[in-house]
Amino acid sequence: MIKAFKKGLIGFGLIGVGICFFWLCGEVSAQSSHLFRTYKHEVPQKLQETPEAVAEGKKVYEKRCWYCHGIEGKGDGPASKTMFPKPRNFTRNEYKVRSTTLGSVPTDEDLFRIITSGIEGTAMPFWNTISETERWQVIFYVKTFNEQFMKDVTAKVVSVVSIASTPESVKRGQELFKETKCYECHGEDGRGNGPLTVALQTEWNMPYRARDLTKGWNFKGGNTIEDIYRTISTGFNETPMGSYLEKLSDEDRWHVAHFVKSLAKDMASDVVVKVKLCENDQLPTESSDENWSKATAVEVPLAGQIIATPRHWAPSIDAIMIKALYNKSEIAFLLEWDDSTNKQEEIFRDAVSLQFPTKIPESLKKPYFAMGDSGGTVNLWSWKAYWHEGFGAVVEAPENESGSVIEMNAKGFKSVTIQPSESQNVTGTGIYQNGRWKVVLKRTLKTEDAKGDMQFEIGKLIPVAFAVWDGSNSDVGGQKSVSSWYYVSLEKPVPKTVFAYVLIAIIMGASVEMWFIARLRRFPPKLEEE
Amino acid sequence: MANKRKTFLLIWVLTAVGCLFVFLKYASPKIFQVLMAKDHPMPMPSTLMMWYMIMGVLAGLVYATTSNQKFADFLSFLLPGSGSLIKSFLQKMLFVGFPVLVGWFVYTWAIPGAASPVELRIQHPTLPQDFEKLENPLRQKDEETQRKSIEEGKILFQTYCRPCHGSKADGNGPFANSFRLRPINFQDPGTIATVVDNYLFWRIKEGAPGLPSEATPWDSAMPSWKDDLKDDEIWMIIMGEYDTAGVMPRQREKLE
Repeated sequence: MIKAFKKGLIGFGLIGVGICFFWLCGEVSAQSSHLFRTYKHEVPQKLQETPEAVAEGKKVYEKRCWYCHGIEGKGDGPASKTMFPKPRNFTRNEYKVRSTTLGSVPTDEDLFRIITSGIEGTAMPFWNTISETERWQVIFYVKTFNEQFMKDVTAKVVSVVSIASTPESVKRGQELFKETKCYECHGEDGRGNGPLTVALQTEWNMPYRARDLTKGWNFKGGNTIEDIYRTISTGFNETPMGSYLEKLSDEDRWHVAHFVKSLAKDMASDVVVKVKLCENDQLPTESSDENWSKATAVEVPLAGQIIATPRHWAPSIDAIMIKALYNKSEIAFLLEWDDSTNKQEEIFRDAVSLQFPTKIPESLKKPYFAMGDSGGTVNLWSWKAYWHEGFGAVVEAPENESGSVIEMNAKGFKSVTIQPSESQNVTGTGIYQNGRWKVVLKRTLKTEDAKGDMQFEIGKLIPVAFAVWDGSNSDVGGQKSVSSWYYVSLEKPVPKTVFAYVLIAIIMGASVEMWFIARLRRFPPKLEEE
Repeated sequence: MANKRKTFLLIWVLTAVGCLFVFLKYASPKIFQVLMAKDHPMPMPSTLMMWYMIMGVLAGLVYATTSNQKFADFLSFLLPGSGSLIKSFLQKMLFVGFPVLVGWFVYTWAIPGAASPVELRIQHPTLPQDFEKLENPLRQKDEETQRKSIEEGKILFQTYCRPCHGSKADGNGPFANSFRLRPINFQDPGTIATVVDNYLFWRIKEGAPGLPSEATPWDSAMPSWKDDLKDDEIWMIIMGEYDTAGVMPRQREKLE
């Protein structure tokens, strides 16, 4: 009885260990690393605020800060012309990341944290590279630009005590997000596309952009739950983001913070877009197709096109997500990116473009990543949002209009040619939903135009680059967000024979083992003590 | 008690080999990341890993065969006997584990592997002859003019170079993440501190499109500024760039 129990226990144990082993093997994956600036909370002992320290701070400021923030602290330094968001104007109280109530100036510690951490999504670098003393001194100098620092000596600090997140809390937060009308600026899905933001941005031409809450790496005041709670409580001075200290109870602010935290995602970056084989015969033609869930998403950070004039210093699209599937004859790409508006004008229209070399490179040499070069032609698949209105009109592309796709070839910025109509074989649709464009582009793996089109091959690394235009940000032509070369790889399906090989290997392994043990048991090694 | 340890000699050797594997696979990339001061883990190359593992297994076998007694202990683990529960459990695990391991090896070799990109580039192409003879005219001027040039250059650097190379010339500008070949960190003593002004003048003026064929622009996003900046402005940027990064250009060797 006990013996049988023991055997059973051992058997189960073995199966468990085996499962764990295989599970662990599947977990190993490669990640490409980015250096995102994160909000750091630690603050060392403050320096004594003396006139000498202020004088020293002036030196630091005029060595490192004034190029952007201006010699008089007005945020109008000579370098600010290639920046958006613009540098902080220290003469006004437009401080955003604070622990103090709305309208107050930040504490010295708040300033220390932001100087040490830098601000992702802006030009502000992290200054933990200069000494703590220098950082305190420059803070004392920066405070001299605004008299309010003298008046508000005792700042009212909002206390932050962490509360654990629960599914109920997130759900309540979602309700409050609606009730408190957070969506009017941040959008229903939190993509920073609320009607107020769109109006301020396009009709009033205001520099305010509601945070896209799904991009966790872009939270200016940090993306920990305490940071989000603090931002909701204190608000951002001189922006539409007010304080909810009085409008919401302490508990409710935690609920909203937990909901916001649940929206914030990290960037799923990788170098290779793995294209899965779709066993079904049909590839998805719509972005809403369920089959897309089979594909692995890769997110790619984008920069302004700064390679050739006209350079784009202030792009509004900073990331694109790619998924891809293929079957025996076709390949389909799903491209998704967040855009706060869907407004199109005749020239300024939302668009996306995929770029491939015309040949899979044999060596490391690829065409120049920005539209190719004289020695390397690229194949461009370009999708543009719908437009049928007259000159000067600004309208939203209707949902039932899927935009237009053209195929082009380029040998550098200045020699772009549209392929003849018989070679136009990319099809595509685009749809704008809740602050996000979703575009599907599809083509056969091979085409007849072997000279101008990429011919896809299974198992090869195929370079690919991306470009996105945001019409409402006046993006057109060279004014766009771009990436450098990434890769797509059409994954080879696992042949069925593999499992036969594995089975044979296991049987052979077991036989060798049994033979060895049987031999060992027949001729046991002689122990010296016996 | 010594007897007990000997009974499990085989298991101890296997555990040691297992620990070696875990160390090489997971711990060493982190350790080398710290030692080499990199911002990414440094994984062990797979061939090196294989050799280390072979050496590890051999070392285990050498240890187990240092005396006849040890070898007998080593093998006797596999014999049936008055084993404790733990012994019979480990025995069974070993019997099942060996064929499974063999099967797994065959599986990993047989499945189609995803190729990972190899990217190399010539870090330091040779300065073309046209640029070799040039002199930075501003370095000849009096101190006051030089100081002004540096300040002018810093403004230009902050305006046009900062988006990628960063306010501190540390290669961490707001666009830096988007270029897979990260913009160069000029504070690194292995970069602009090892070249002369002319070299930078060439790189700024011609950019990635002007790289020679042995260092063709595969991934470098360095723009060509020849149409947008005057020569004087480029010389100023160079002076401002060295100053911002806190390094000095390499001194020319005195020619006899």
